[in-house]
Amino acid sequence: MNENEMSRILEYVRSLSFDLEKLREILLANLVLIGEIPSPTGEEQNRIAFLEERWAEYGLLDCATDELGNGVAILPGQKGDSTILLVAHADTPFALTEDHTYSVNSSRVFGPGVADNSLGVAVLSSLPLFFEKLNIQLQSDLCFLVPVRHLDQGDQEGLKFFLGNIKNPVDAAIVVEGAQLGRLNFRSMATLGGKITCQINRRISQESAINVLCHVVSRLNKMDLPQENHTLLTLGAIEGGVSYKYPARNGELKFQIRSNSGQTIEKITGVIYNILDDIALQPGVSAHLTPIAHTSSGGLDSSHPFVLAARQIQATLDIVPQDSIYSPAISAFAEYNIPGLCIGITLAENINYLDEFIEIEPIMKGVAQLIGILMAIDGGLRCKTSTTG
Amino acid sequence: MQNINNWLKSNTFHHSQFKDISRLVEEKEKQGVTISLCIPTLNEEKTIGKEVVIFKSELMDRYPLIDELAVIDSGSTDRTLEVAASFGADVYLSADILPEMGAKRGKGENLWKAIYQLKGDIIVYVDADIKNIHPRFVYGLVAPLIYRREIKYVKAFYDRPLALSGQIRPSGGGRVTEILIRPLFSLFFPELTALVQPLSGEYAARREILEKIPFPIGYGVETSHLIDVYSEWGLEALAQTDLDRRVHRHQATRDLGKMAFGILRVFFKRLKQREIVECLPELPTLLRQFQAKGEQYEQIVYEIFEEERPPMIEVDAYCNQH
Repeated sequence: MNENEMSRILEYVRSLSFDLEKLREILLANLVLIGEIPSPTGEEQNRIAFLEERWAEYGLLDCATDELGNGVAILPGQKGDSTILLVAHADTPFALTEDHTYSVNSSRVFGPGVADNSLGVAVLSSLPLFFEKLNIQLQSDLCFLVPVRHLDQGDQEGLKFFLGNIKNPVDAAIVVEGAQLGRLNFRSMATLGGKITCQINRRISQESAINVLCHVVSRLNKMDLPQENHTLLTLGAIEGGVSYKYPARNGELKFQIRSNSGQTIEKITGVIYNILDDIALQPGVSAHLTPIAHTSSGGLDSSHPFVLAARQIQATLDIVPQDSIYSPAISAFAEYNIPGLCIGITLAENINYLDEFIEIEPIMKGVAQLIGILMAIDGGLRCKTSTTG
Repeated sequence: MQNINNWLKSNTFHHSQFKDISRLVEEKEKQGVTISLCIPTLNEEKTIGKEVVIFKSELMDRYPLIDELAVIDSGSTDRTLEVAASFGADVYLSADILPEMGAKRGKGENLWKAIYQLKGDIIVYVDADIKNIHPRFVYGLVAPLIYRREIKYVKAFYDRPLALSGQIRPSGGGRVTEILIRPLFSLFFPELTALVQPLSGEYAARREILEKIPFPIGYGVETSHLIDVYSEWGLEALAQTDLDRRVHRHQATRDLGKMAFGILRVFFKRLKQREIVECLPELPTLLRQFQAKGEQYEQIVYEIFEEERPPMIEVDAYCNQH
């Protein structure tokens, strides 16, 4: 794509968020209707069914669920000689039994999963109508994918299944997350998400599983994490025991290690197994590591045309860029050598808690950003580039 | 009883029968009727935003089923009107409508003033405190009026259990319905017992009906409507639609006592008007409830007038406007 074309896109994007404001209620209504359909990992079928109904109504082609339950539809482009994949995962980390009622005031929408990722899904459900109302037609086919079994133990299963089985090649991919506006992820780190479970045999030991997990935490924190490849340990969740008056019989710790280097992850995993072996030397105490999710490192370089175009579009819309270029969302695309970006639509807080909320005001700027990037990629596809692993 | 059974078969619907909204819009446009949605409010800032967003987007922008979406407010002290207006609803203070008629406080007052203020041939009323709001709350009530011209007033009920075993299950309304309204209807208007939830706050009606019936301004408005429409146009003019499930605030028993008192005043007034009961004394307006404080019991007295607004057709300003 030449500079003139990019200037034209930037000029268009500047006025786009104003035009999109008139369509704001369509997106908010879809957000509430989608968000109030519970969609825990592995039970996303009702949310997918709603989407398919919407897409079919907007005249999208091949609206279907694949064997795994992913929702897929195609908006044909004028030429259709290339395909851009738009992805927003269907699942949320909230059980069917939680209260999924959303509420809306003049500046915010509240509800479990509203940012992660009901808003992303709502954008995918509304975009075909926005294109129609704004008379936008891409040259490339736009493939909408709402994958299932994405989060935590789902380990992006739906997305990996789709990429592993799709017949037509995908030329570029954009992952749409509800938050945060300003993110632009184009590389993935190697990660290991894991669960350490500890069990005490009461016939042999009166030890508390909580003490054991504390010991594990202490050893994990003392590990030497190589800084040169940005290795990080996150202790995400811990639970154990049933009562205040008895030593806990079992406990569970969930964590993630991230690094630029897959070898570092392998090495640290070995260290964790050694720690657990040491602990298991105590009579009646056992501790196990169960891997939850893996990703491998890879993605685009900072100088990739898609990245540069996305940065220009964000700057044009006065979107404040966020620091990290890494997201596990990119991992599957890196594995299949598909250039991929991950962006956010608005600002949010308390993500993955029941009091999660999003800000309404920036939403249409986030959507304008998405449309701008799509247009830039659509033009840019004429000079194809590849990813680095 | 035969009439009730026939009516239950022919005039009881489920919202899923009407989910083809584009067909409904087509039929509405063919008939040339207009539809206004009225949401009466009093301090509903937590739920009003979602209702307006869903109805405006789904039933005005996506499908042009409703022509007007209005919030009529009794004087909220929270941000109800600001939130509703920010999502595109027309907002009105009840006191500003027909100011020469004065301002009275009560949901029925807002519903009555909506007949003057709104333009639709059909008016659909939906309460603002529904947590699980969905377009079915409107299209499920409007559709019987569009598809069946002889139906004039459609009432919502909520009855879909999570699993249907095929066995008999109790089907009914809330506490006031089951221990007050249904016994009263059984005694005096047996055919009206066929309405599963006579007190539900969601209903749609033709203007030609609404303008001809009086409106109690408080708790008795739903009961009075059913008696008045039934008495004038018969059971065939009524219909009911199952809207599945409604999640809303639970009311304290003491508040239900006030509701029951208001309903009884409206009910007895109609018995007297129709000479069903003779020698009814002048009914007091005071409801007495009790509360314990230590070992002392004390009386709490509420004054509940249950005033009524006249049929709108009798108001000069309305007749001049129409």
